[in-house]
Amino acid sequence: MSLKLKALLKSPWVFHLSTGSCNNCDIETLDCLTPRFDIERFGMLLTGSIKHADVLLITGSCNRMSVVRLKELYAQVPQPCLVVAIGTCAASRGIFKDSYNCPLPLDKIIPVDVYIPGCPPKPEAIIAGVVKLIEKVGSAK
Amino acid sequence: MTREEVLLDFTSRFNEDILDFEDKSNIRAYVRIKPESIVKIGTYLFRNIGARFNIASASDLPNNTEILYHFIIEDINLLISLRVLLDKDKPEIESLGKEIEAFNWIEREMSELLGITFIGHPDPRRLLLSDDWPEGVYPLRQDYEEWDKTADRTRGV
Repeated sequence: MSLKLKALLKSPWVFHLSTGSCNNCDIETLDCLTPRFDIERFGMLLTGSIKHADVLLITGSCNRMSVVRLKELYAQVPQPCLVVAIGTCAASRGIFKDSYNCPLPLDKIIPVDVYIPGCPPKPEAIIAGVVKLIEKVGSAK
Repeated sequence: MTREEVLLDFTSRFNEDILDFEDKSNIRAYVRIKPESIVKIGTYLFRNIGARFNIASASDLPNNTEILYHFIIEDINLLISLRVLLDKDKPEIESLGKEIEAFNWIEREMSELLGITFIGHPDPRRLLLSDDWPEGVYPLRQDYEEWDKTADRTRGV
């Protein structure tokens, strides 16, 4: 494992991006940060700036307006960066598969490391997904 | 004024403009009016009766393009929906946005999604669709066909 990746896993800072979700996944994501679920136990911290982020949490079905912003933000993330798709919309576009405004699924736009299905996924599921991601990356030599 | 007084005043005042009146329920009334008198009736409801403009909704019907303007009179708990039927080939109606600011954005949205022209609209730009959306393609019309050949309709990886 590279030193960069090892350092990243000790305290991954997450950046939360909604690409046109109904806000339910965003509420559940914010729930993870509250004391009840408290993902700071795993060293995760929500950052306000994409330039400080190690993990991108993406919700929503990637509509035409937000895809442009998503690409711009992804270009600014310091690499290595891990991408987590939260919710059915981000994972497979859900009911918006044939929508005129959602031309591409998220994983055809940027590479995705973890999918967390659910509409919305429970905070426990989000935490489990992110912890699995950390374990997976940590065990890869 | 009570509910009956408001409806009686409204129907007698605009007797010539009203094509169809349906007292749907205690809290709901549908009024089909002539498209050319929408500004007169809409501003009367908003300014004189004191109704709140809730929302407008449009849909592409088999023979017409329909717009519903929903006005709520909160004192008597009544929702009046003004229904206009427009020509499907050339949907045009006079804009209420030039009189009342609240109509501005919803008229922009209806014009971009369904291709309805609002004559005299103060700011006829797009509201929601992206900049690369082609002119003359209206996604909520019945005959909409996908124009973007790069779109992927699978579930992804």
